[in-house]
Amino acid sequence: MGAAVATRQIQFREAIREAMSEEMRRDKRVFLMGEEVAQYQGAYKVSQGMLDEFGEKRVIDVPISENGFAGLGVGAAMMGLRPIIEFMSWSFSLVAADQILNNAPKMLYMSGGQFGCPVVFRGNDGAGGQLGSTHSWAVEGLFANVPGLRIVIPSTPYDAKGLLKTAIRCDDPVFFLESERMLGNKGPVPEEEYLIPFGKADIKRAGGDCTLVSFGRPVHFCLEAAEKLAEEGIECEVIDGRTIRPLDMDTIIESIRKTNYCVVVDQSWPFGSVASEVATQIYERAMDHLDNRVYRVCSDDVPAPYSKNLEQAMLPNPGKIIKAVRQAMYLE
Amino acid sequence: MPRLSDTMEQGTLVKWHVKEGQQVESGQVLADIETDKATMEMPTYDAGKVARIVCETGSNVAVGETVMILAEEGESIEEAIKSVGAEASEGESGAGAEHAAESKSKAPAAAKPAQAAGSAAAAAAAPSPGAGTSNGAGSASGASGANGAAGRMLVSPLARRIAEENGLDLKSIKGSGPQGRIIKRDVLAALGQSDETGESETAAAPAAPGAAAAPVSMPAAPLGGKVALSNMRQTIARRLVESKNTIPHYQVSVSVNADPLLDLRGTLNEQLKSQNVKLSVNDFLVRACALAIHQHPHFNAAWKGDSLQIGERINIGVAVALPEERGGGLVVATLRDADRKGLRQISAETRALADKARGKGLSLEEMSDSTFTISNLGMYEVDFFTAIINPPNAAILAVGAAMKKPVVRNDELAVGHEMSCTLSCDHRIIDGASGARFLQTLKQLLENPATLLV
Repeated sequence: MGAAVATRQIQFREAIREAMSEEMRRDKRVFLMGEEVAQYQGAYKVSQGMLDEFGEKRVIDVPISENGFAGLGVGAAMMGLRPIIEFMSWSFSLVAADQILNNAPKMLYMSGGQFGCPVVFRGNDGAGGQLGSTHSWAVEGLFANVPGLRIVIPSTPYDAKGLLKTAIRCDDPVFFLESERMLGNKGPVPEEEYLIPFGKADIKRAGGDCTLVSFGRPVHFCLEAAEKLAEEGIECEVIDGRTIRPLDMDTIIESIRKTNYCVVVDQSWPFGSVASEVATQIYERAMDHLDNRVYRVCSDDVPAPYSKNLEQAMLPNPGKIIKAVRQAMYLE
Repeated sequence: MPRLSDTMEQGTLVKWHVKEGQQVESGQVLADIETDKATMEMPTYDAGKVARIVCETGSNVAVGETVMILAEEGESIEEAIKSVGAEASEGESGAGAEHAAESKSKAPAAAKPAQAAGSAAAAAAAPSPGAGTSNGAGSASGASGANGAAGRMLVSPLARRIAEENGLDLKSIKGSGPQGRIIKRDVLAALGQSDETGESETAAAPAAPGAAAAPVSMPAAPLGGKVALSNMRQTIARRLVESKNTIPHYQVSVSVNADPLLDLRGTLNEQLKSQNVKLSVNDFLVRACALAIHQHPHFNAAWKGDSLQIGERINIGVAVALPEERGGGLVVATLRDADRKGLRQISAETRALADKARGKGLSLEEMSDSTFTISNLGMYEVDFFTAIINPPNAAILAVGAAMKKPVVRNDELAVGHEMSCTLSCDHRIIDGASGARFLQTLKQLLENPATLLV
């Protein structure tokens, strides 16, 4: 958690706002663009007050036209600016797939090094709660397949701020995945400036019996499961990957060498998921330290249901994680 | 060399019952093999002619090695020998297994190339000698080792690595994972290390020779020198160290007035003489213990780490010392359902088991599943001793001789017979007072022996 113990508690959305504002004060090339980010103060009030501070040339409202404004962001980045493009939801980024997947991550390569693409795309990812299957995308499994981009998925206000500042300064395109369900979460964030490097996982809870690896919101489900299991004397180590690309396998492997058991929790769908990738790399690097196969807890392999109960049943949750840990440790 | 017990890794060829050139029938006993448990008979599953005896008497051979070559009907001895040799070389190239199974000649052990000795994979892939007789207990590969999936050993990568690092043979370990997969805790248990998940049962063979502190009878040898350990001696050593190291033993003793018991026994034996029945003191003890366990069910329990398993049936183990000329050692013969049998049946069965133990040896079945053990050294005029618990039993009773002693009877000094009974208990299961109460019950039964008749 950084050197100093922070006493100030702020919301996840405030942490994102602070990261953007600080970087915009520091670097005049940085601007924010998206639907309702300016006049309305942000669809989720992330950018509240930013129009007043930075003016309409740097906090820019756009119409519902993801392919257009994402492309504008790519072009701006190529020409030397540092755009932050907000998708109200990553579900809507699919409209802009050609810009964000086919142009941004490949620009440096396709231009023979003449043009980089230092753009940050950010917005809500994962099920928001009864938004229906087309608005409940968890895009990490899908987009992690694309070389040339960075994928960040923080779980706490502290990580969100430190990682977003790194993302804005990054010379590569960064996909920054937030969660509508976590924007109100409060957590300690220090006043003083800090940055969190990409590719450094964070051990959110130490334990020697079973390794839990997760990203973003499900990290909290893991922590909840770990607390329940601790009541029975099973101590889980909860590793928050924080960035999917790059992926900090070293921390994961080191933990498995200690515990010999691993459960990967990932809100993407199981087939070709982030969890599949983590499991594969574990097999590639730590086979002789495993006493059982790696267990995965993902969203069920169905479109996200609208029904509240079915949606909850489909997503990863502490109950599923506890069961997986028991199975992984041969306790059931 | 067929796998004749589930923990057997090698066997000693004690005696051949056939000669080269001899015609044998299916089921005929070919040889006596000493395993880690007992000396057992090796039958053949196929009829034919003994082509060659490969393995000499007294030699110690790993499971899967060729011990003899059998020529099938219509096959000449030369052909049989040649075809086994051919299989062996094919086996080396990794393609021999199926050819060997199809081959006409049958070796009563897998035709495994000698050069590949020690390769576990080769042993596992070796064809069943009885060719086609899939699950013959005497077949080399028919027994799938200690593991569940037929012919393939399931081991977690970590368990395999720990075993390799410690030079532990995985074949000796029973897996507790799904489909019998050997996992970390099984290997750690086998290495005698504790595992914090701690649920595994000890990988105990069902009926390793047990525990009683009968005299160690080594083969008579001049003083000095080195004596090789028999398989049985190694098993006894391993099991007793395991018992003493893992079970918190304590002992309680009681002295039993043996006069009524000896009187009753004398009367009964006199009356049953014509029927050729001779009850021993031990027969009364077996019955008394079985009945006492009914009143003290924890004495029928096994420690399971986080629970006790109370046995449903009362099976009394009786320690039997083996003759020195057969290498000595001891086994525990199991008298099943001893509480439901009369003295006469107990006597007949004990005698039959003891004779068989001292003769050709007991089967695994006959040494399995005891829930309580009795070790009786009365015949050696021992007045008192303690015994080591035979896992997974909760207790063992050590019985001395009924000694003629000055005793107090009806407040008067008299000459009578006293017999010491010393109970060793697993303190995890049975506390001192419970042990004492069990002995109290036992004493009452033995001092009022008529109750043992009904």
